[in-house]
Amino acid sequence: MEFFRVNRRGRLLGALVPSSMVTALMVLTAGVAGPVRAQTLDDADFMKFRVLCAGVLYTREQWTDYWEGTLKRSNGNIGTLTTTSATYMTAYGVTDRLNIIASLPYVSTKASQGVLQGQSGHQDVTVGLKYRALNTPLTTSGMLQGILSISGTVPTTDYTPDFYPMSIGSSSKRATGRGLLSFQGKNGMFVNGSMAYTRRGNVTLDRVSYYANNQLYLTSEVQMPDVTESALTLGYSGHGIFAPLTLVQQRTLGGGDIRRQDMPFVSNRMNFTRVDAHVRYAVPRSRGVLLMLGASRVLTGRNVGQAASVTAGLLLAGKI
Amino acid sequence: MQTVMSGRAMRGMRVFGVAVLSLGLLSCDKAITQTEELLPLTASSTDATAGTWKMIVMTSATQVAVPAPTAVTSDAYKAELAAIKTAQQTITPAQSERIGYWAGGGVLRWNQIVRGLVARYNLPPAPRDDGTYVFPDANNPFGDPAFPFANPPYAARAYSYIAVAQYEALKAAWAYKYQYNRLSPAKADADIRALLPISDLPSYPSEDAVLAGVTVAMMQALFPAAVEDVTRRGADQREAALLSGKATSSDLAAGLALGRSVATLVLARMTADGTGNAIGNATQWKALADTAIAHGETPWLSLETPARPPMLPNFGAVVAWSATPAELVSARPPAPFPVASAQMKAEVAEVRRTVEHLSTAQRAIAQKWNDGAGTYTPPGHWNDIAADHIRDANMSEVRAARAFALVNMAMHDASVACWEAKYKYFNPRPSQLDPAIRTDIGLPNFPAYPSGHSTFSAAAADVLGYLFPGSATEFLAMADEAGMSRLYGGIHYMNDIKQGKAHGSRIATFTLRRAQADGAP
Repeated sequence: MEFFRVNRRGRLLGALVPSSMVTALMVLTAGVAGPVRAQTLDDADFMKFRVLCAGVLYTREQWTDYWEGTLKRSNGNIGTLTTTSATYMTAYGVTDRLNIIASLPYVSTKASQGVLQGQSGHQDVTVGLKYRALNTPLTTSGMLQGILSISGTVPTTDYTPDFYPMSIGSSSKRATGRGLLSFQGKNGMFVNGSMAYTRRGNVTLDRVSYYANNQLYLTSEVQMPDVTESALTLGYSGHGIFAPLTLVQQRTLGGGDIRRQDMPFVSNRMNFTRVDAHVRYAVPRSRGVLLMLGASRVLTGRNVGQAASVTAGLLLAGKI
Repeated sequence: MQTVMSGRAMRGMRVFGVAVLSLGLLSCDKAITQTEELLPLTASSTDATAGTWKMIVMTSATQVAVPAPTAVTSDAYKAELAAIKTAQQTITPAQSERIGYWAGGGVLRWNQIVRGLVARYNLPPAPRDDGTYVFPDANNPFGDPAFPFANPPYAARAYSYIAVAQYEALKAAWAYKYQYNRLSPAKADADIRALLPISDLPSYPSEDAVLAGVTVAMMQALFPAAVEDVTRRGADQREAALLSGKATSSDLAAGLALGRSVATLVLARMTADGTGNAIGNATQWKALADTAIAHGETPWLSLETPARPPMLPNFGAVVAWSATPAELVSARPPAPFPVASAQMKAEVAEVRRTVEHLSTAQRAIAQKWNDGAGTYTPPGHWNDIAADHIRDANMSEVRAARAFALVNMAMHDASVACWEAKYKYFNPRPSQLDPAIRTDIGLPNFPAYPSGHSTFSAAAADVLGYLFPGSATEFLAMADEAGMSRLYGGIHYMNDIKQGKAHGSRIATFTLRRAQADGAP
């Protein structure tokens, strides 16, 4: 494997690593309940042909307040819920306009108060394809890109989805389709808008009944409502720096609210609006080393924690 | 260049195949069945002698008078039959669906509905901003907190009173059915279609209306905020009986009145059973701790933040169904190991070792039997288990009511006895004695010893084993698993489970004594 050298302007590596990898991790754990969904393929960056990128990202997310339905509150039996995750990820340029991306997080949860046991384990593996369907000059000032992606997510271990907010995930199999439009200016500024739809498979609990959606279900199987996500990004790419600022809105298309003083449930209507910011920096003369730092904050939500997170990552990229 | 491009394209196609496969992981059909499937009930026997079976609350099956029906030759009765014929010509799809729903059996359907109400109301009050808790108020059932908090003792009592009321009302109905011997409409008139399997059971008074009348009245007292929902369901059940050719309007009217009157008698017992004092007051809660300290013991402490008053400390004084207070005391388990003893230290260490090395299978068992807040509770879980066996046995409505009554009386008695012992000993939970013990399920806010799950489960398993001897071993295995689930969850010591199980079996004997002498063949 021969790693790329960073060229003097730093643009080359800046374009190698999809920022989706970073954003994905911040999306990972938003919610009362930990991970709502795994990787999103939500940017306009592509790996070049035969370039492989691999690395690890570490995310620490915390919330103290959460929304019980629409009521914002804290809970003395949880205190602050901390979710940490280390995500192994890789992306590969099948062609200049078709990338394959995969990721697998290891997630741990811990409550600062109360007696509930923290949970940890490998969560869900996501494999996705991202395809640049449109790439056309627009006016004299930049390029318009249209990008389509699909991905599938499958749990890798039999962690429990029935212990929210301590559960590390929903254990639901998922398929996501996303469309993204990006305008990239010649001055390095870019604007992205994207929409995604995630279909979620039913979840099976270890118990034979549960109460949800204002009724008793006499079955172990839980119907999981689908999820949409829309995102608007403003960012800068140049001089070895890639720095997007994104507003993300997740909407769950169904599901009930957490009842008064009840525990959250896997199929709750988990909605949120969150702001994400991160910076990726290509270390000069490092033969393909990239560093990442990021932060996110949930602004409003329903049946999720008001989470704030920080992310740090190290990625290596090179041609094979 | 051309060959390079096509190579890339081929690779792209292959990767796309992987992604398409991953999309295929999702089944296209996400629909799930919400309730237990019940086939139309065809009872293996009409249990014609049920009117002679021993009563529990009522002095006799005919304590509530049911007047003789009008003669089948009367114009009034003929008009009733004509009304059914007319109604059957305009059955809507919604009505047809409700007929199908109630065809599964009224006792089984109502049991499902009660389980749903328990799960709906089984939520503890939220703390107020000043760190105190307000108790649910029966006079303000829609408030915050809602009334009731259908915790396990409340639920066990509710299941038992509803089941007993249904059983009493149906025995009374059977007595009159065979006294008056009125044929069901579909049997009396060839032009009336039988939209359900209709047996030779006389139709006056209608068992469906008896069930609707007695159950709605009981539920209004136990779950007053659900009055609208249960009233509608009661009306649906009566309508289904009429439209399906099972009952005329006078069969229904007599049944509804009988059911309501029986509920009044049963409610008189219920409202005087001492549950009103079960919550206690701050002075009594402090006295529990002081008594434990005076005995040289470590008192139980609430581990919730803010600390929550103990759940129903005086529930042990509530009137039981089949045991006298003296019998309950004589059946009480021995004292737990002293907190300072070597045995107790070993028990604490065992819990810690278990939760720190919990297997996936053990965690699954802990969750399977969790039955915590927001669920239908452990007694609800055993009703769920009982319902499957009652369904499979094709029991008549009155025999199904007997089965639910016996199981639920045993669980109510187990609940009273267990709560009496819990507050007698006021024993700490594992996480109190070793804060490193973290739980994989919610920690109940009441003393540990003995385990309520174990007591409920042993009592239910023994009674179910009496009713369904072929599955007795299976019930005992379930009860054992339910007990062990509390160790895996990190909320009980092994001795809580062992003693709770033995206690539950002793309590069940009082119900079995009743069952063996109640005249039901």
